[in-house]
Amino acid sequence: MAASLSTPKLSSPTLQTLCKKCKFPTNPFSSFSHYNKPNHFGSFNSFSHPRTRSYCRRFTTRADSTNVAEPPRKYDFDLFTIGAGSGGVRASRFAANFGASVAVCELPFATVSSDSTGGVGGTCVLRGCVPKKLLVYASKYSHEFEESCGFGWNYAAEPEHDWSTLIANKNAEIQRLTGIYKNTLKNAGVALIEGRGKIVDPHTVDVDGKIYSAKNILISVGGRPFIPDIPGSEYAIDSDAALDLPSKPRKIAIVGGGYIAVEFAGIFNGLKSDVHVFIRQKKVLRGFDEEIRDFVGEQMLLRGIEFRTEESPQAIIKSSDGSLSLKTNKGTIDGFSHIMFATGRKPNTKNLGLETVGVKLTENGAIEVDEYSQTSVPSIWAVGDVTDRINLTPVALMEGGALAKTLFANKPTKPEYSAVPSAVFSQPPIAQVGLTEEQAIKEYGDVDVYTANFRPLKATLSGLPDRIFMKLIVCAKTNKVIGLHMCGEDSPEIIQGFAVAVKAGLTKADFDATVGIHPTAAEELVTMRTPTRKIRRTPSEGKTDSEIKSTAGV
Amino acid sequence: MNIIIMARKMLIDGEKGNPNGEETHYDFDLFVIGAGSGGVRASRFSAQYGAKVGICELPFHPVSSEVIGGVGGTCVIRGCVPKKILVYGASFGPELQDARNFGWELNERNDFDWKKLLHKKTEEILRLNGIYKRLLANSGVKLYEGEGKVVGPNEVEVTQLDGTKISYSAKHILIATGSRAQRLPIPGQELAITSDEALSLEELPKRAVVLGAGYIAVEFASIWRGMGATVDLFYRKELPLRGFDDEMRAVVARNLEGRGINLHPSTNLTELVRTEDGIKVRTDHGEELMADVVLFATGRAPNTKRLNLEAVGVELDKIGAVKVDEYSQTNIPSIWAIGDATNRMNLTPVALMEGGYFAKTVFGGEPIKPDHTNVPCAVFCIPPLSVVGLSEEQATEQANGDVLVFTSTFNPMKNTISGRQEKTFMKLVVDSETDKVLGASMCGPDAPEIMQGIAIALKCGATKAQFDSTVGIHPSAAEEFVTLRSVTRRIAAGSNPSLESTRYESEEKRLEEGKMSMEIFEAPFDHEMGEATKKVQFSPARSS
Repeated sequence: MAASLSTPKLSSPTLQTLCKKCKFPTNPFSSFSHYNKPNHFGSFNSFSHPRTRSYCRRFTTRADSTNVAEPPRKYDFDLFTIGAGSGGVRASRFAANFGASVAVCELPFATVSSDSTGGVGGTCVLRGCVPKKLLVYASKYSHEFEESCGFGWNYAAEPEHDWSTLIANKNAEIQRLTGIYKNTLKNAGVALIEGRGKIVDPHTVDVDGKIYSAKNILISVGGRPFIPDIPGSEYAIDSDAALDLPSKPRKIAIVGGGYIAVEFAGIFNGLKSDVHVFIRQKKVLRGFDEEIRDFVGEQMLLRGIEFRTEESPQAIIKSSDGSLSLKTNKGTIDGFSHIMFATGRKPNTKNLGLETVGVKLTENGAIEVDEYSQTSVPSIWAVGDVTDRINLTPVALMEGGALAKTLFANKPTKPEYSAVPSAVFSQPPIAQVGLTEEQAIKEYGDVDVYTANFRPLKATLSGLPDRIFMKLIVCAKTNKVIGLHMCGEDSPEIIQGFAVAVKAGLTKADFDATVGIHPTAAEELVTMRTPTRKIRRTPSEGKTDSEIKSTAGV
Repeated sequence: MNIIIMARKMLIDGEKGNPNGEETHYDFDLFVIGAGSGGVRASRFSAQYGAKVGICELPFHPVSSEVIGGVGGTCVIRGCVPKKILVYGASFGPELQDARNFGWELNERNDFDWKKLLHKKTEEILRLNGIYKRLLANSGVKLYEGEGKVVGPNEVEVTQLDGTKISYSAKHILIATGSRAQRLPIPGQELAITSDEALSLEELPKRAVVLGAGYIAVEFASIWRGMGATVDLFYRKELPLRGFDDEMRAVVARNLEGRGINLHPSTNLTELVRTEDGIKVRTDHGEELMADVVLFATGRAPNTKRLNLEAVGVELDKIGAVKVDEYSQTNIPSIWAIGDATNRMNLTPVALMEGGYFAKTVFGGEPIKPDHTNVPCAVFCIPPLSVVGLSEEQATEQANGDVLVFTSTFNPMKNTISGRQEKTFMKLVVDSETDKVLGASMCGPDAPEIMQGIAIALKCGATKAQFDSTVGIHPSAAEEFVTLRSVTRRIAAGSNPSLESTRYESEEKRLEEGKMSMEIFEAPFDHEMGEATKKVQFSPARSS
């Protein structure tokens, strides 16, 4: 493996090329030009955020001292990135494209992450979005087989699933992807160093004993699943392990009600394991729109997932036959082959040397950053899950891209967090953009809510109890669509285009003016004519009235 | 003539329409001929505005004729709905193949029972037919079963099932009789079927021949292929789907071929002969092949022949479509027409729009023209195509400045495991001066569902910058539409790229696919990465 990596020694040809590159940058926005342009930060004056102002002052001082007091210090790299996941790779590649000399370090590849294992591509590619979605594809087939019976397809025998084929194909695919990521780094001229990076001082990174200096350091080490410390927690698996089990669970307990819990519940249920989900609250997916929470819970129940609500795990007991029991505040359930904890993720900020250089962390261990992703140490920056802002791959990409622009393209850029769409690949899946109804009422007071809850064409033929739920939340005053939620087949694909519309601030009238695509599920979102309820702040109009929507879209 | 069943308020707008104050009494404020998508929508909405409405429709049957139809119309009984049901049914065939690499153990051949699907399809359209009837009844619209004819500017005659004729007077008459599939006049044409019959065949064909290049042709080719038939598709031009973006047409052709459909471009059928072994099909290239079913998907003609329109002076165009102005009014002020009978844009949601706007204009006191720009549409071939706005060719013709074309070809994530060799293709066409997105198209799984939201953005003049500022939903195919960062090609204002050069580019793209397929998951990145190569590769192609 090491052979394929760029060697970190300064004498290496790669590095020489890189150094040449930074001395004679082809890009007009060379990294060094920062300090030579006195009015470069003029554009910052209009910013009002207090941290931005201090950032500005800091830079000016530094720029002054660089210009006047000492010659520009020479560093091995303009940017040293710790962690080659989505955000780190994006920032590194873009920085290199802008002419910066960049190195990135990453732990050796493994399907399960730890303090000493990781892999180029990061959580998304190796232990998150990608393998998860591949397993979702695989598990969805059992539902499709059922559906197909209603469309005239017959099976001589019940289709059986072979777990090892799936996992082997999944692993081959993520191996291929980690290779592609390495190539993209290489093609962009980014030096890839395998090992564990640790910050020594504001401009120095230690990778397994080798020292590199850098003008800027980027921390993009992501997060890792967290299992609470209860008796027997060593018998529990997390999502990393669940994606790479040697055999399929016969009966699995999934502890947690977040998106990871419901996604894995769908996966194992689709692959015909016996699935029991334990949630502390009454419903799954805290933070999501309440109606969506109810709807997805019902649909999952109909597909055979068992929910145990308001139950907190207290201990795991391994019995002599090897099976596991889960003890909760309500009792003990026996006979599990696996117990999975999907109880949250924590930023990977331990043993990074952050304390020694004084990088401030939040209470839960995330790195504190300003709107430009700068930490409390001016030369150190952080993007992605390690900052615990919105923990999504495309957001890390946005943060990484914005950072590269800020640092190396002479274009200070803040990532923009409004109307970020997201999806949960539960079965059926959920997608949303903008505010939940609860948030919208809190923020705007007067909102109109349009909902549709219907049986899609496919379900009328298949005879399965599948339904689709959609919700549009409109600001009554401006007519703008401020929230959009959907649970049902194809939601994530459907919502992306609508997210463009919501992001652009379009109104309900704009939605209505758009002709439907027939017959689709998505057309329902442009044919919602009557509000299901109008919520008004003033008590006179404040009654939540529930007008009933006309039946069909004719 | 015992037709006044429920008491209704007289129209306010009726009073306005009679400045002399004298009230002419009509049986109805509106009489609609044809209870398809447009007619039902116009009737219901007019009734909701307070109008007294009557509507007539032919008796129900899956296969239409001059004397058979059914409430719900083409869309519900012989179009969108049954077609999509069959597409669903057909899609399971390839899905089952794809399942194997995901670890599912299935028999080599899975049994497909066409009769069962047909039965369930008929059940479903009967259910919908019932819903439509109820919708009309619930909104107070009086439904008559029989054939309607216009006998005067304010007079409709309905021939009932028993042959008796009744006439009704109406202040306004709306023609919403739709259209019907046409056959090509070649020897043996009677052996061929149209899409009506294709949706109700007794037996699933083992060998199907489809003639035509439109959406109906490619959809049925996909349906039968998905169900396991051998399918031969014949069309006159080099590519199917005339009128769509040329590059998308090439992609569809490639995908149809990839799914095992035999394509016969630039070929016509000359004769059909019945033999013991099936129908012998002759082409103008001298080929012969045998088929169990020959489908003519060679266009549809408006249903205006037996409406007696000429007699009352309603103008028709060359192909028999009712000529209307922007408000759907014919040259006879009391007679209006909407939907396929007017042959504007023959889509259900457009007929719904025209019907709704007609009601608003005539009975809602708010004249409103249907807007036929940026109407999205879908072709449910497998995998489907969906588009909104302008094609690259149209954009090049219409834009003032240069046109920027952003494309992406990628291997959908599902295919990385299933091993299916089929790329999804997406395109955005942008006006370089205004940054407005003029057209969007996609061919690949879920394209029609994906395009609906994109259509809102286009309808409202969204810019490429607004697309770019939207964060992706990961991992989805749709996220490609908001991460198309670098221009695939720039077309100078006024230039007219020929199909030839476009196809050459597709060839180039295919050569590049080795690289392309590497880039799947990092679609957000690869555009920058691929930019230089693409530019180098594409520019010579365009200039040559």
